[in-house]
Amino acid sequence: MKKPPSKKITPRAIRVWQLGAAISNLFYFVAPAIYFSIFGHESYHFWVLIGITSVLIVYWFLGVLLIPYLRWKKWRYSYDQHEIDLKRGVIVTKRTLIPLSRVQHVDTRQGPLLRWYKLASVTISTAATTHEIPALDEDVANSVRDTISKFARLAEEDV
Amino acid sequence: MSEFKRQHPVAAITRSFELIRGNLITIVVFLILGAQREEFPFAWMFAGMFTLLLISGLISWWRFVYKVEEGELHIKRGLFVRKNLYLSSDRIQVIDFTAGIIQRMFGLVSVQIQTAGSTSREASLSAVTRKDADDLVLYLRKNQNGEEKPELDGEEVLMVHQNVKDDVLWRDFLPGKELIIAASTSGSFGIALSIILTLYSQLEPVISDTQFYEWVFDNLPAESDTSMIIGFIVAFIIISWLFSFFATIFTYGDFCLTTKKDEFVVTRGIFEKKRITIPFNRIQAVKITEGILRQPFGYATLSIESAGYGDQAGSGTLVLYPLIKKSAIPELFSRILPQYKDEIPSVKPPVRAARRYMFRNAAFFIILAAAGYILLDAPEWIALLAVPGLFWGWLKYRDAALACSKSLIIVRTRAIARNTTIMQRYRLQDMNLNQSFIQKWRDLITLNINVASGDHGYGVVLRDLDGELRQNLIEWMARNEVYTLPGIDEKSGKALPDFKTD
Repeated sequence: MKKPPSKKITPRAIRVWQLGAAISNLFYFVAPAIYFSIFGHESYHFWVLIGITSVLIVYWFLGVLLIPYLRWKKWRYSYDQHEIDLKRGVIVTKRTLIPLSRVQHVDTRQGPLLRWYKLASVTISTAATTHEIPALDEDVANSVRDTISKFARLAEEDV
Repeated sequence: MSEFKRQHPVAAITRSFELIRGNLITIVVFLILGAQREEFPFAWMFAGMFTLLLISGLISWWRFVYKVEEGELHIKRGLFVRKNLYLSSDRIQVIDFTAGIIQRMFGLVSVQIQTAGSTSREASLSAVTRKDADDLVLYLRKNQNGEEKPELDGEEVLMVHQNVKDDVLWRDFLPGKELIIAASTSGSFGIALSIILTLYSQLEPVISDTQFYEWVFDNLPAESDTSMIIGFIVAFIIISWLFSFFATIFTYGDFCLTTKKDEFVVTRGIFEKKRITIPFNRIQAVKITEGILRQPFGYATLSIESAGYGDQAGSGTLVLYPLIKKSAIPELFSRILPQYKDEIPSVKPPVRAARRYMFRNAAFFIILAAAGYILLDAPEWIALLAVPGLFWGWLKYRDAALACSKSLIIVRTRAIARNTTIMQRYRLQDMNLNQSFIQKWRDLITLNINVASGDHGYGVVLRDLDGELRQNLIEWMARNEVYTLPGIDEKSGKALPDFKTD
């Protein structure tokens, strides 16, 4: 009986995602700005602008305050000699199984934000798809990468 | 062959044609736009463009050299950036010849070399003499068997070919009658239609400028708008049907599938002769496609997904049988694809999934109808547009099915055609089980599995399966020996309905 994956990713991921979302969600405010520059704010355009902006503000707060937390709460991963098991997703729950014999390469990646927080993500590539475990502590990420890569080398032989 | 060699000069011409083919739409638009301006000499422009293409073809021929040394193919190419490609013979899996019209006029072939990676597409020679191509195969393949490569003479080439001939197990041809049936039911309407539409959308601004519409309006015997629209649609359908008819004839004419000890060889094409080799161990999935025009007559197309094989578009799909009677498939499987033959009971999405299938499909038509009603002042009966959407969704629901045995997984879905994909478990690259919050409420899951194919892989999605299946699928994927799916009657071993290889 295979159990659902149990390992959690680091809680510091929430901070990183919050920061990232706070910045990138700002770009959506370009939409009302463009609307304003085309139609102005006379008559009903004023209310359209108010509507769009308030929806965006709600979205911004949700995206910054709630979603990163839920995302972190839902993220689980585990791996053994046979497969990698990932489970995540807030609105759509996703469960992914990757046989280790199919893993082509594993790498760790660090964007500027992740590096600032001393975190890294692990990317697992097969011949068809790519999967990612986001935001692990640097040394955890490195050991995950090394172990998976070792397992993958061993697994290739028994196909 | 240890000296650097150029290809046959004809390669310059074929390269120019490749450039034309790649930029066809741009060129056509450019020419038409140019033709409208009277102050610009049209003939000059045409000549200029042609020379430019010819020169770039010549340059790429001039700068492309290759040699074989110590069992390694070395290609140098590129005008400013010199690109060096080294392909060692033990990495080369397949060498295929193709001969287009131009190559055939000069008795030449183009050579495609496949390795496991996708970069090998760059390593094709576009025009060499048949003898050079044979030499290349001899050098690269000889070395593969670990033998020393001797100086070759004509007899040896012959011997190698006889050797190849010996392990042929089966040869399957496509008779003329079946080719005609395949062509007339090919249903690549969609593709033909999209080509016509793209052309049309590119040309549209130009055409309306030239009073084309007025001409059409004046000359059509149309009494009302409706009959004109219907006329347009009929003309569209006829043209795209002809398109796909001839495209199929040209692609699959002269078709032959050769089954050897450890590989398939497909040769096909009337004008452009192609030979494609697929070693068995690169087959990732077998696919039976029943187009809507073929399904009523019991016909289907059999194709495979192959890792590494990539046509220009990077897809790994190769048609093994352009047209086959569905009733002949089990026999065919036991003959050439025994490891994919299995009669497994299947499970279907539960009844509560039916309305999700239907509404998901109708949504597009409902939006279309609403838009038509609001924007175009269409009459109320336009709401009936949703009916085909619902019906189509019901068909999708009816055809969705899943079956697993110890080593195989079979997924049947319908987009427009009905697709049955048969995969071996150990070929699966991953398995995804997704559940949206609405699905959670209804206890349904969506299955998505991927196999390697061409450059990007090939995925199958089966929506709204019973949530009960989740744990079983996970155990199946994890090779725990629990692989019966719930919903299957254990006594008879049969699910409703029986699935077999159909």
